[in-house]
Amino acid sequence: MLIELKNIVKNYENGDVITHVLKDINLTVEEGEFIAIIGPSGSGKSTLMHTIGFLDRPTSGEYIFEGENTKDLDDDQLAVIRNKHIGFVFQSFNLLPRTSVLDNVILPLLYSDSKIGHEKKAKEALAAVNLTERMNYMSNQISGGQKQRVAIARALVCNPKVIFADEPTGNLDSKSGSTVMHILENLNKEGRTIILVTHDLNVANHSKRIVTIRDGEIVSDRKVEEKDRVHSKQIED
Amino acid sequence: MNNNIKQAIRGVKSNPSRTFLTTLGIMIGIGTVILVLSAGEGFKSYINSQIDAFGSNIITLETSLPDSTKARSNSGSGSKQANSSASNAIPITSLKMRDVEDIKNIPNVKNAYGASIGQQIVTYKNVSKNVFIFGASADRFDIDKGIIEEGRGYSSQEDKALAQVVVLGNTLATSLFDGVDPVGKLIRIGNYNFEVIGVYAKKGGFGPMNDDDQAFIPVTTLQKKIQGIDYLIYSVIGLIDNTKADATALDVADIVRKNHYITDPIRDDFKVTTQSESLGTFDTILSAVTFLLIAIASISLLVGGVGVMNIMYVIVTERIGEIGLKKALGARNRDIMYEFLVESILLTIIGGVIGVMGGAFGAFVISKIAQSLGLAWKFIVPIWGVIIAVSVSGIIGIIFGVFPAQNAAKLNPIEALNKE
Repeated sequence: MLIELKNIVKNYENGDVITHVLKDINLTVEEGEFIAIIGPSGSGKSTLMHTIGFLDRPTSGEYIFEGENTKDLDDDQLAVIRNKHIGFVFQSFNLLPRTSVLDNVILPLLYSDSKIGHEKKAKEALAAVNLTERMNYMSNQISGGQKQRVAIARALVCNPKVIFADEPTGNLDSKSGSTVMHILENLNKEGRTIILVTHDLNVANHSKRIVTIRDGEIVSDRKVEEKDRVHSKQIED
Repeated sequence: MNNNIKQAIRGVKSNPSRTFLTTLGIMIGIGTVILVLSAGEGFKSYINSQIDAFGSNIITLETSLPDSTKARSNSGSGSKQANSSASNAIPITSLKMRDVEDIKNIPNVKNAYGASIGQQIVTYKNVSKNVFIFGASADRFDIDKGIIEEGRGYSSQEDKALAQVVVLGNTLATSLFDGVDPVGKLIRIGNYNFEVIGVYAKKGGFGPMNDDDQAFIPVTTLQKKIQGIDYLIYSVIGLIDNTKADATALDVADIVRKNHYITDPIRDDFKVTTQSESLGTFDTILSAVTFLLIAIASISLLVGGVGVMNIMYVIVTERIGEIGLKKALGARNRDIMYEFLVESILLTIIGGVIGVMGGAFGAFVISKIAQSLGLAWKFIVPIWGVIIAVSVSGIIGIIFGVFPAQNAAKLNPIEALNKE
């Protein structure tokens, strides 16, 4: 079992007003799964992803990651888990400005234990998303689709167990989006766990399992039959 | 760390004009400190050259109003400082050549000369100048370090014989003779003709009592023929061992007191000054001025530091999204903190280095101006000053960078990411 959430509750307090964002979430994820978390905006799906991705702590409940309860870990230990085991891909790419593609991919390695071979690992990750030729470009000199592929390379570079993709195609045209989804599918084929967060059912149908969340509760959790799955082809170079 | 420096350079480069304006306060502060220290060293080099020119192992004996009469004379004249007879209406007439001869017998005294000063019109052909005339006994040439470039000095026989001979300061010789060889020519000093027997090499001085503008004649000639007096204004005593200067000064005072029948030192009609005393006074004044100017420069450093702090807060706000991203990718709080600290240190050190260069340039300009005025003023940038200045600018970067950096480090990654 890679991820096990037990009775996760997340409340936001704003003065006297308490907003219950997540209400008693129970979810397990096995290694190698390809899950889509879907739901309308405000459903709590982003908060759920942030919680699973160790960017945020639950108000109550238990989160067991690789068999270890993460309740008592401090901020620095959570940072180490994020660095080693989790790769993030965001809707708006979040590349560093005025920085080369290669240096953007190297960035997570700078916060890791490994002090050598950064450039080699980054080049390998760029090759996996077919962007070796663009590695010396500045991050603002490439297209949106290419930016998201750089972000995927950056998510891959520390060889994490899980990749979180938060609306990865949200800012892309359909061609670029298709390429990005193709890459994510391939990563899953190679055994990497993918957790996709989206409001778009067409995107969610790339996955093998769809978890629907509404008003902070899981309302459905179903497998996607192989015949219903959507598969993208690589369109862009 | 290497990565932090790289990121900091990227940050600094991203907005060069803001970087420049931010560090301006540091530049001005550090520049002022370097300018003050450097100009101070230059001024010291000038003073040392003046002391060397005057003779290095010396003590001076000059007439002075007794302490016991000062109160009375002050209340009468209203003057508070006038205790040297040279600048006082009441002349002290007790210092004589006999005192100087007796002082020469002190074991640590190599030689001594007595001197008087007058002011006369000096004329050669149709050129006239109002000149300070220094009368000194011939032993002056044994003590004073001035080099006679041409001709010779006068002898003690000439002094005793009231010879009308004169040695000219370099600038004076040039302005009177304008290209003609002065040695052997006759010039008029007051009502007497004097033969020019020598010309000093240029010493490099400044102000009205500049040696280069003066004429030097035997003291007895000045006293008897021009001034009509038999006393001295001061005496300069050359020492064998300068480390015993204080003890020798006491011996000098004892002899003069005995000769002047003074039993109570409060009635001393003279003052003995060792070189370390006059240097000490000079050092005290220079230190006070340096301290004052550096204190003023520190205000600029403080304001500069606050400016850097302000900009660092702005930069943290600007890069909130970037901070959130880095945290998501695994940066720990201290990683973020170091990144911003390195950037603020880089900012202040850039300011410091530019300030050092600016201050050194200012000091260089001052030294060139001083040299063009004929002063032996060296251009010195003290290395310790540079090291301290750059270190101080780095420390300012730490002090004023630490709060913004902590702010950045403590940001919640989710909130930071959502700001993007």
